[in-house]
Amino acid sequence: MVKFTQEMKEALRVPGKGGSLVYLCTSSRDGKPNIAAMRFVATHMDDKILIADMFLLKTKANIKENPQVAVAICHPLEEGRWWVFKGEAVDIEYGFPRDFDWYGANATDILDEWGNWNKSEPPDEVPPDIVFPKAVQRGVVVVHVEEAYSIEPGHTGEKVL
Amino acid sequence: MTVVLTERMNAWIETMGCHLCVATLQGEPFVVLGRHAQVMAEDTVAFALAEDEVKVAASVLSENPWVAFGVSRQGGIRAAYQFKGIGEVLRSGDVFDTVSARAKEEKGIDAAAVLSVHLTELYCTKPGYEAGLRLDGMAPEEVDAWERQRWKDVPRKRA
Repeated sequence: MVKFTQEMKEALRVPGKGGSLVYLCTSSRDGKPNIAAMRFVATHMDDKILIADMFLLKTKANIKENPQVAVAICHPLEEGRWWVFKGEAVDIEYGFPRDFDWYGANATDILDEWGNWNKSEPPDEVPPDIVFPKAVQRGVVVVHVEEAYSIEPGHTGEKVL
Repeated sequence: MTVVLTERMNAWIETMGCHLCVATLQGEPFVVLGRHAQVMAEDTVAFALAEDEVKVAASVLSENPWVAFGVSRQGGIRAAYQFKGIGEVLRSGDVFDTVSARAKEEKGIDAAAVLSVHLTELYCTKPGYEAGLRLDGMAPEEVDAWERQRWKDVPRKRA
């Protein structure tokens, strides 16, 4: 069982609060990879990464057929945030049974706190030519992290959790 | 379907480097950095990988050559694209020599291998109604015009 460090918790927040843009990497069941940048990110408990399901397409389809994911810090990297987190993910969408449990994370708790993320942490730092006109959130991706490794030059692949 | 990278895409890829995603045939994804990226042709990008980066990626690529990548750093926001293609790990030859020499000169990277990715798919990842839009079905001049309508910024060369 892993436990995030304080630095990791600070990095895994929305960029507007000092956190990071992350890449959520998924794969089809037969191994076709997919990588997409995510802004709405948070931690829950000591070993869960949360990501908003707002515009997910292939990512969502992949998670439904294959829960194995990797979350990599995209920006900024030079602050020592050279991490890739690996684990299993589920997309807790509205309509899930309220008592659904994912490795100790409860669907009601997740959706109550992060189900309207655009309102609680609006994307004020996102440039106007990138920001979306209207956010429609369908759920929250919950990644149960089982390990993490470094992508720092010279140390790639070394376990950090 | 054809991928023809625009000048702006080339600039973002080469200036920022890329996050490379590979996966086993059982669907386990791995990420390494392609810190030195070099556009070799309108549909081919090569990355210089150091020994530690090769260790993570090469064994996966030996069983499954698919590679997906996005631009690193600010490129994750400003260069809202996902690139996919077939990767080949090169440890010798002209491409290896060319890319590894430039990687050493510009970034001090001792390349143990070069990952050459022949692109077959290109997607927009801008959040909103265009998220997931596939661009490789458009003619190259259409992609160029589509991009120019939205963005013109190119990154400054990193130190």
